[in-house]
Amino acid sequence: MNPFILSILLLSLGLGTTLTFASSHWLLAWMGLEISTLAIIPLMSQHHHPRAVEATTKYFITQAAAAALILFASTTNAWITGQWDINFDLHFFPASMLTMALALKMGLAPVHFWLPEVLQGLDLTTGLILSTWQKLAPFILMCQIMPVNSSLITFLGVTSTLVGGWGGLNQTQLRKILAYSSIAHLGWMILVMQFNQQLALLALIIYIPMTFSTFMIFKTNSSTTVNTLAASWAKTPALTAITPMILLSLGGLPPLSGFMPKWMILQELTKQDIPLTASIAALSALLSLYFYLRVSYAMTLTISPNNLNATTPWRLQTTASTLPLAISATISAMLLPLAPATLALLSL
Amino acid sequence: MAHIMLTLLIGMVLGVISVASNPSPYFAALGLVLVAGVGCVVLMGHGGSFLSLVLFLIYLGGMLVVFAYCAALAAEPYPEAWGEWSVLGSVLGYLLLVVGAGSWFWGGWYEGMWVPVDELIEFSVVAADSGGVALMYSLGGGLLVVSAWVLLLTLLVVLELTRGLARGALRAV
Repeated sequence: MNPFILSILLLSLGLGTTLTFASSHWLLAWMGLEISTLAIIPLMSQHHHPRAVEATTKYFITQAAAAALILFASTTNAWITGQWDINFDLHFFPASMLTMALALKMGLAPVHFWLPEVLQGLDLTTGLILSTWQKLAPFILMCQIMPVNSSLITFLGVTSTLVGGWGGLNQTQLRKILAYSSIAHLGWMILVMQFNQQLALLALIIYIPMTFSTFMIFKTNSSTTVNTLAASWAKTPALTAITPMILLSLGGLPPLSGFMPKWMILQELTKQDIPLTASIAALSALLSLYFYLRVSYAMTLTISPNNLNATTPWRLQTTASTLPLAISATISAMLLPLAPATLALLSL
Repeated sequence: MAHIMLTLLIGMVLGVISVASNPSPYFAALGLVLVAGVGCVVLMGHGGSFLSLVLFLIYLGGMLVVFAYCAALAAEPYPEAWGEWSVLGSVLGYLLLVVGAGSWFWGGWYEGMWVPVDELIEFSVVAADSGGVALMYSLGGGLLVVSAWVLLLTLLVVLELTRGLARGALRAV
């Protein structure tokens, strides 16, 4: 793509999310969401093949519908309460509409159906932007409207963790696996958001490096299916050894960092006296863990056979930067001992 | 006045149903004309005459005309109007939805009242519709810059999506 156009689109993507973060007026928050949707559309369809264009169209329609619902809900709230300020509590009816609209924006179950198909149609870099950056703005709006309609939020959270687990079980395409992983993680964030927004933020801050590392690893191997990962042991043995740590961290296994948010969330849910919800969420994490384990089995725990050309490749120094992946992989795997410091830093 | 407003709002909901029931784009554009026209009259009834005028000019006279020309490029010999069974099914479905939603909210779920824009004119310094536009150019300068940037971004996005003529799935006809 033309570098000027690419810079304008990426800067507008940043502008949109920043505008939503910085706004105290619902209209400006909505504008920020629309700007980030508009800016990512050409990035998604830049390769111009029908799969990408189809994914772009689906993304645009769902996000536009969600943004229209957000505008309608905030206008209804302004009509009823006379307030456009985000800091003021919403009337119950527009609050429920807003919650569903933001759930559609983020890809929470039961309105998650667009996410696997959209993510499947994109290349890994754009999919990464979709999975991480595009989740920030609706997340922060969701944090600001809490607490609202506890049963709806709990329903969204538990359904998302269950759908994220069960939906990912039959997948062989890596991007769909990561889509269901995103749904499950967002479910955990939503579940605790009504009680403690700092823990939801912690979950997001741990989730982003983990997803970033996974996408970068798959990009390094140029693989989009589980089968093609089987050739990575010969190409990049170090990366192949690290990947299970990242994947199992996504699954929430101690002693990796992914355990930190789940542990804190389960503790908070127990303190709030809903141990049944906590148990269901913990058991649904087991489902997700299975498919992460399957990917690590195919990649690392099995040395797959191959012909002589593929098992003894030249391992030349890469020209791509390895620093981002190194940093994010370290964060994803080794941050658990720093849990008290992380929690203290997040109590804003 | 309340009766006029009620009739207009019913007309608006019927127009929205006529668009959403998925007829051929010609007829959907006709439905949009109905919705936008009636919406403008509703807006006028609430005192926002300037905004209503701007909406009529720009939305109906600009964007919808361009859309009608684009729809004409994709013309078909037997377009589906609202009499076709497939469209009629959607119409009936949406009518049922509207009746259902109406019965759900019957009896008033809101505590507020209809307050037309110009009713508080003795207590306001500026008229709400044209004063708002004036504010965009003075105190609301930042929002004006952001809105202008969004419009420019939309232009660049559309140009980038349709660049290349024959390549890709978005082709020039």
